[in-house]
Amino acid sequence: MYKIISKRKFYYAFSLALVIASVVFLSMWGLKSGIDFTGGSLMQVSFQNTSRPSVEDISSVLKELDYMADTTVQPVGDNEFIFRFKDVTEEQHQEILNKLKNKYVVTDATTVDSAKDSQPKIEVVTESNKEIGNVNIEAVPVGVSDQASLQEEKFESVGPTIGQELKTKSFYAIILVIIAIIAYIAWSFRKVGRPVQSWKYGITAVIALVHDVTITCGVFALLGHFYGVEVNTPFIAAVLTVLGYSVNDTIVVFDRIRENLHRYQGDFEETVNISVNQTAVRSINTSMTVMFTLLAIFFFGGASIKFFALALIFGVFFGTYSSIFVASSLLVTWQNLIKKFSK
Amino acid sequence: MKISNISKVRLSVLAIIIMAVFAGFLVYPAPFNKSVDWLNSKLGITLPHYWNIPFGLGLDLQGGAQLVYQADVSQVPAGSEADAVAGARDVIERRVNAFGVAEPVVQISGSGKDYRIVVELAGVKDVNQAIKMIGETPLLEFKEEDSSQPLQTDQAQEIAKYNEEAKKTAESILNEVLNSSISKFADIAKEKSEDTGSATQGGDLGWAKRGTYVTEFDTAVFDTLKKGEISRQLVQTVFGYHIVYKEDERGQGEDLEVKASHILIKTKSSADVSTSSQNWKYTGLTGKQLKKAAVEFDPNTGSPTVALEFNDEGKTLFADITRRNIDKTVGIFLDGEAISLPRVSEEIPSGKAVITGNFSLVEAKTLVQRLNAGALPVPVTLLSQQTIGASLGQDSVQKSLFAGLVGLLAVALFMIIFYRLPGLLSVVALLIYGVLVLSIFKMFGITLTLSGIAGFILSLGIAVDANVLIFERMKEEFRAGRPLNSAIDEGFKRAWSSIRDGNISTLITCAVLFWFTTSLVRGFALTLAIGILVSLVTAVVVTRGFLKSIAVGRVENWHFLFNRKKNSESEKQ
Repeated sequence: MYKIISKRKFYYAFSLALVIASVVFLSMWGLKSGIDFTGGSLMQVSFQNTSRPSVEDISSVLKELDYMADTTVQPVGDNEFIFRFKDVTEEQHQEILNKLKNKYVVTDATTVDSAKDSQPKIEVVTESNKEIGNVNIEAVPVGVSDQASLQEEKFESVGPTIGQELKTKSFYAIILVIIAIIAYIAWSFRKVGRPVQSWKYGITAVIALVHDVTITCGVFALLGHFYGVEVNTPFIAAVLTVLGYSVNDTIVVFDRIRENLHRYQGDFEETVNISVNQTAVRSINTSMTVMFTLLAIFFFGGASIKFFALALIFGVFFGTYSSIFVASSLLVTWQNLIKKFSK
Repeated sequence: MKISNISKVRLSVLAIIIMAVFAGFLVYPAPFNKSVDWLNSKLGITLPHYWNIPFGLGLDLQGGAQLVYQADVSQVPAGSEADAVAGARDVIERRVNAFGVAEPVVQISGSGKDYRIVVELAGVKDVNQAIKMIGETPLLEFKEEDSSQPLQTDQAQEIAKYNEEAKKTAESILNEVLNSSISKFADIAKEKSEDTGSATQGGDLGWAKRGTYVTEFDTAVFDTLKKGEISRQLVQTVFGYHIVYKEDERGQGEDLEVKASHILIKTKSSADVSTSSQNWKYTGLTGKQLKKAAVEFDPNTGSPTVALEFNDEGKTLFADITRRNIDKTVGIFLDGEAISLPRVSEEIPSGKAVITGNFSLVEAKTLVQRLNAGALPVPVTLLSQQTIGASLGQDSVQKSLFAGLVGLLAVALFMIIFYRLPGLLSVVALLIYGVLVLSIFKMFGITLTLSGIAGFILSLGIAVDANVLIFERMKEEFRAGRPLNSAIDEGFKRAWSSIRDGNISTLITCAVLFWFTTSLVRGFALTLAIGILVSLVTAVVVTRGFLKSIAVGRVENWHFLFNRKKNSESEKQ
């Protein structure tokens, strides 16, 4: 059996360091809010059968429209761009599209020229054998599939009020989940009166959960600052899922403690350590299976759920860590403190 | 007859397999249907195909648009906002249906003063056109004069000035008519009359009985003028100044009819000027209560008119409005502009009205189309939109399918390597789990979004959690020296409380996610919740059934299969 609980100070130190670092990142940089929360527009376009213009080139074109002044341009994949700018009306949206299409598709010099060359000049000759003039057939590329085009893959425009509303709602959702979980654990462990009251299991599970979520958010503050990773609605879903998962994992350990308290009448710390050892393999194995699926989503799933999966990966990892090393240790520490002060 | 325990277990396993096969064909009916086709052609019979229910794919997977509209209820009196917004929702739904989008979703969201209408158009090709069509606001309203808002003096002056001009014009035309022969009347009417309906007919109004026209006109044609005579003075009515020509008359007494022509020079009344909404009162009668609109032709003038028919609610309202406003004007407003300002002569209880604007046939037809497409009872503005191109959606489906397969494979390998035979059985249970969940998605028409699929893939990982818990327990029971069968029973029994408590906490999270967030995340919450519920069944019932039905006889001694040490030893220290 591994002496996990007795080495709890190491784990506390490790966790505390991560949590403090996360809080520092969060207060320094904060999370980079996506347009879901701030309001704004996101447009993803792809260039087909034509080379993608440079970032400088396309952003200077976009900035000719005054409401596009603060546009950020991000190249994606081989032939796509993502633009971010303030929220616009549908008319403005169409204006942007038309501007891009006019600039890069219809009047695209290379396409038109090459098409022109392939068209024969037609000479119109009158009966008197006098040439009237050359008629240039306008270059119309044949076959739609070969035609250079600019395609709008995705467009989102969110008004600022909706964004604010979503922020508030997400906040309430998180609070509500935490309260519901404390209540459920307190109820579920209600018969475990001694030596630790049931509500303390609830509080401890929530401390572990806050730990997991703080670190996950800290990681995203870091990613946001250095890689511009944005936080949006799926991220909230991920955080809420981490809440659920973290508690799920902690409960399994607590459940074992509950069971073992009936079996062994010995020292509380020892009982907890036995329980943690008995459940550790299960916790790790379960996390492994979840990690496999999350990694699959991260590497092979669509781009829009990549960071959703990443948030879950961090959340699940620290959720597993805290359920083994932190949550149960906290129960013991709490119990010891009470003993110490009641003496 | 007594059925032994093991037979019972095997029966339940058989039931599970049959169920899984049914569910499997529901998810992927192609092999079944092909076999049926083959059999039918061989045997000359007609067996039916399996149900072919498609997956409901969300906007982000098949491409499409989500549009959020804000409904402006500021003009609607307190208390009836919700009704008005519901009316707008119905109208938008009708317009969207006309657009031919498969299974559009039009929902009201928001509460209090904030009314939103969320429109989801999956697979729509031209979002721009859809937005135009939805946003096109034939806001049809019937309004009554608001006497509490007196005309501003400049407006009154404007009317007086206009009417004076009209009178001068009318007088000069009257002179022209009187100075030329009667045969010229029609030509002058064609050229000068402002009654567009009759002008093209040379001012001819056709045959009419007493009571057809407004009082002043009636008096002129029935009492003052003789047959073949033109009025020497202008006849003034609410419409303006008329030059009346009584062409003919027939019949006696009650059946007396006259055939008259006229030249009209219009005047303006207060109603014409005060078309801005401030002088008009909300009556509650809007496009919401409109049953249908149709083009009709005025039997007298032959000009096109727009006939409206209201539903029962509109009928009552319209009767009330006309009763209240006899001899007053009721304004018909389209998009805030007066299109017709008819004067009410009597109460109309039939719920039918005719708009006699000076329409051309094309104008009348367009108006009718727009009205039938539905006039919005409240104006709406587009708050936010999300559009996903079809190719991006297609790409997402393929990617997430692949991700799902990779995830499944990784989980399966891990379970088999780590837990051997029980692991293999749990993978079978996981496959059954997958098939059951997918068939539930199909049967209940749950819309799959990208995050929904993520929820499902994630639940694959979570689904084996219960099995991991159980197998770990079984290992402990082996170590404690229990034989296989009782180790299985004990493992399941002891793991149950953990499984239950752990999953309930995740279900709580799903519930909150479902109620508190927007549609795309809701998909995730729903699929995850369904996954957890189904996994409880498959991990406990299915795996247990398989294990029990296999763990008989000599299997007991094949320790390798259970990753079980030969001699039961106590826990490692």
